[in-house]
Amino acid sequence: MLTRIEGGQVIDPVNGRHGVGDVWIEDGIIVEPPAGRQPDTTIDATGCIVMAGAIDIHSHIGGGNVNTARLLLPEHHSAHLPRPTATPLSNLGWTAYQTGCLYAQMGFTTVVEPAMAPGNALHTHLELADIPIIDKATLAILGNDDFLLSLVRDNASTGMIEDYVAWTVASSRALGVKVINAGGSAAFKENVRTFSLDDVVPSYGVSSRNIVKVLQAAVTNLGIPHPLHVHCNNLGVPGAADTAAATIAAAEGVPLHLAHLQFYGYGTEGKRRFSSAASQLAELVNSTPEITVDVGQVMFGQTVTISSDVLRQFSARRNANPKKSVIIDGDGNGGGIVPYSYRKDLYGSLQWAAGLELFLLINDPWRVFFTTDHPNGAPFTAYPALFELLMRREARSEMMEGLHRGALELTTLPSLDREYTLEEIAIMTRAAPAKLLGLTDRGHMGPGAIGDVAVYRKDADISKMFGAAAFVFKNGELVVKDGDVVALRWGKALRLMTQPDQAIVKRLETYHQERYGLSLDWFDFPDWAIGREQPFGEVQCKA
Amino acid sequence: MTVAWIGNRDALVQDAVKHAAELLAASRCPVISIDVDIEGTRAAIALAQRIGAAYDHPDPGVARETAAFVDAGGIFASPGEVRRRADLVVLVGGLPQEAQAFVAELAETTPDLAGANARDFFLVGNGTAFPAGSNVTSTSLTCEGTDLAGTVAALRARHAGRHTAAPVENLDQFVDALSGARFTTFICSGSDAHPLVLEMMQGLVADLNKKVRASILALPSSEAGWGSTLVSTWTTGFPLRTSFSRGAAEFDPWRWNVGRMIEEGEADLHLWIAATPGRQPPPRENIGLIALTKTDQPVADAAVTIPIGEPGEDHDAVMFSNRIGTIAARKAESSDLPSSASILKAIAEHLPAETDSPC
Repeated sequence: MLTRIEGGQVIDPVNGRHGVGDVWIEDGIIVEPPAGRQPDTTIDATGCIVMAGAIDIHSHIGGGNVNTARLLLPEHHSAHLPRPTATPLSNLGWTAYQTGCLYAQMGFTTVVEPAMAPGNALHTHLELADIPIIDKATLAILGNDDFLLSLVRDNASTGMIEDYVAWTVASSRALGVKVINAGGSAAFKENVRTFSLDDVVPSYGVSSRNIVKVLQAAVTNLGIPHPLHVHCNNLGVPGAADTAAATIAAAEGVPLHLAHLQFYGYGTEGKRRFSSAASQLAELVNSTPEITVDVGQVMFGQTVTISSDVLRQFSARRNANPKKSVIIDGDGNGGGIVPYSYRKDLYGSLQWAAGLELFLLINDPWRVFFTTDHPNGAPFTAYPALFELLMRREARSEMMEGLHRGALELTTLPSLDREYTLEEIAIMTRAAPAKLLGLTDRGHMGPGAIGDVAVYRKDADISKMFGAAAFVFKNGELVVKDGDVVALRWGKALRLMTQPDQAIVKRLETYHQERYGLSLDWFDFPDWAIGREQPFGEVQCKA
Repeated sequence: MTVAWIGNRDALVQDAVKHAAELLAASRCPVISIDVDIEGTRAAIALAQRIGAAYDHPDPGVARETAAFVDAGGIFASPGEVRRRADLVVLVGGLPQEAQAFVAELAETTPDLAGANARDFFLVGNGTAFPAGSNVTSTSLTCEGTDLAGTVAALRARHAGRHTAAPVENLDQFVDALSGARFTTFICSGSDAHPLVLEMMQGLVADLNKKVRASILALPSSEAGWGSTLVSTWTTGFPLRTSFSRGAAEFDPWRWNVGRMIEEGEADLHLWIAATPGRQPPPRENIGLIALTKTDQPVADAAVTIPIGEPGEDHDAVMFSNRIGTIAARKAESSDLPSSASILKAIAEHLPAETDSPC
């Protein structure tokens, strides 16, 4: 099957393409224009922008905490609205099915669930397997689990720690590793209520910094392409910018990714002691090349916050809207679900502005990533509106008209004129995420890349343009046309092929038998359990 | 070859499947009871969407647990953390049979995290007993003249420094234990407790967490039921007691209570999927029955009976486990019995291409 996407404005920063041209796909793979052959299908992309399929590196789309949020808030699902019943299970609310369709309609073809508890990996992958069209991946959470903290406390060898990290990634079918408020959840179980980078986890005598550094080294030494993904301490706290700055400094020349930096972009100035420190953080990011960040932009309206930072979520319970929440003292991190509504008051306005400051003040689009930390800052369905805010300063000005004046005075946003170009958007949402995750087969449209292509009809209304793609191809198959899903397929969950040493498996078997009274089999699973053919795609570690 | 039955007559499975599909397609108000594994639940919900059915789990404890969760949320602990960390365990009301082994395990072990090396036990209500031969000593917290709900309410009130009409027996010992505990865990289940009791327990735990750490281990009254709840939630956005009768999924824990719909004659056809042996369908009048269960004989009065295997015993399965608090895979010795999922998918394939929502 040979497909030609003809006459569109091709934007492919990796391959230096920026101009009108064609993209050819054969049997799911992008190919050079084949000399002398006629395509089986031609897509007229005249007047359209053609980019690789977009990649979201941090969006909570499946797993125990996400499902707990659904269970807590059935009244918040749009399923109460009457909808057509044309496709199987499509007339549903915030579901696995709808997640895949909505992402595809915006031209996204790969999404990373960034917080998978290793012990809950099977549940997570079952949910991900029910998300249609797109490819998925997960980051396994470490850094509050007794096994790792004990290894660090006991000065275990780096080799043993790396073996444990490798086993965790392999058994949970993850693409990388995330640490969430390192040590904070373990400390909270011992009734600690605040926890910062140099605080020590009781009973272990291990600092948060120590945990981050150990995991950073293990991820690097194992050749895991994605740097350690760090959710810092003190999320959401006034003055958290200092914690983020200290974490950036702790990178010490080795790659580190900081998640949803907006939630740390707060100083303590102003009458309410809550101000934006985003410009200072942006400056630090600019001057620290080993750091990458995603933003976690806040958009206004109702959402639900989902996090494995139990300490943070416990303190956020008092602001729950509606007034209910779930806190889970789970193995390792656990989780917290707190519904929340972002309002245009001082706090919401300042958070919104701080996120945009980060986007606009971090110079390098290869190191700042487009996220709302779905659904924590906003549902991913807010992406089209966010593209508009980044690409049109008038759109920002119009929005600022309705916001809290005092909040805006505590930010630099009103003075920022930068507008993202389409090239920068393509880097931030395609090329850079693929590079960051080690996915060489996507994020670009060079020969050999998989046929993930998004075609947008040019429109002065940027939100409309990115909200409903004219055409989307997934692995060469046309899945979206004129903003509607036209074909369903099951994507894969991308996993890293780490090779854990058998000695650590034996040690873990003994540990689980002694401490949990259970075989290690309970914490691993066979591929058949997913219930779909070939549910996983393999990604190689760096040499 | 596995035999099925149409009425009391032996039939080929494919014929029984076809007849079941005809009955479901003709039904004006079908209802489905789901008591199976994850894959079976996936298939049952997909079938419910095709035929516009309501679905539910037969154990009402699942609905009570869901109601408490949806209404109030709470603070919960995983079984692993409880085993390793809880130095004060309070058993509230009766617990499901499936949970007894874990309670015994707690009695036989001591916590090894956070410096604790002993575990105290208290009992609230009369529903829980330690296994025979257990050496564990426990203290009962009772409030004369009231039931479990009243006792829990009195416990919370007394902890908050308020007066109650009757004293809570052994309260002083409990207060002493709380003051020395590092991680208190209340264990309860919807198998015995009203949603308001579960919510009151969460209120007490929230009060405690103002100063110390405490959590609740909620042991679902049915492992299969909670597993189905999770699948339904990620598939439709809603827990059980959801219906597709108007096309889109709707959650209404009263309206789509399948037991009530059968009892009050709202339903006209009951698809009863019970993979666990020994279960019986609820009594009904003038309501057809399609039975998918592990049996070697036709179910009484069923229009169609199709034998299915027990998940994890007759076929590989994925199921929720109370022991680990999440979903796990179970390898099985293979048998001739098919999974519920395979039968349900076969039924769906025999439905007319455009099966309209009947209600």
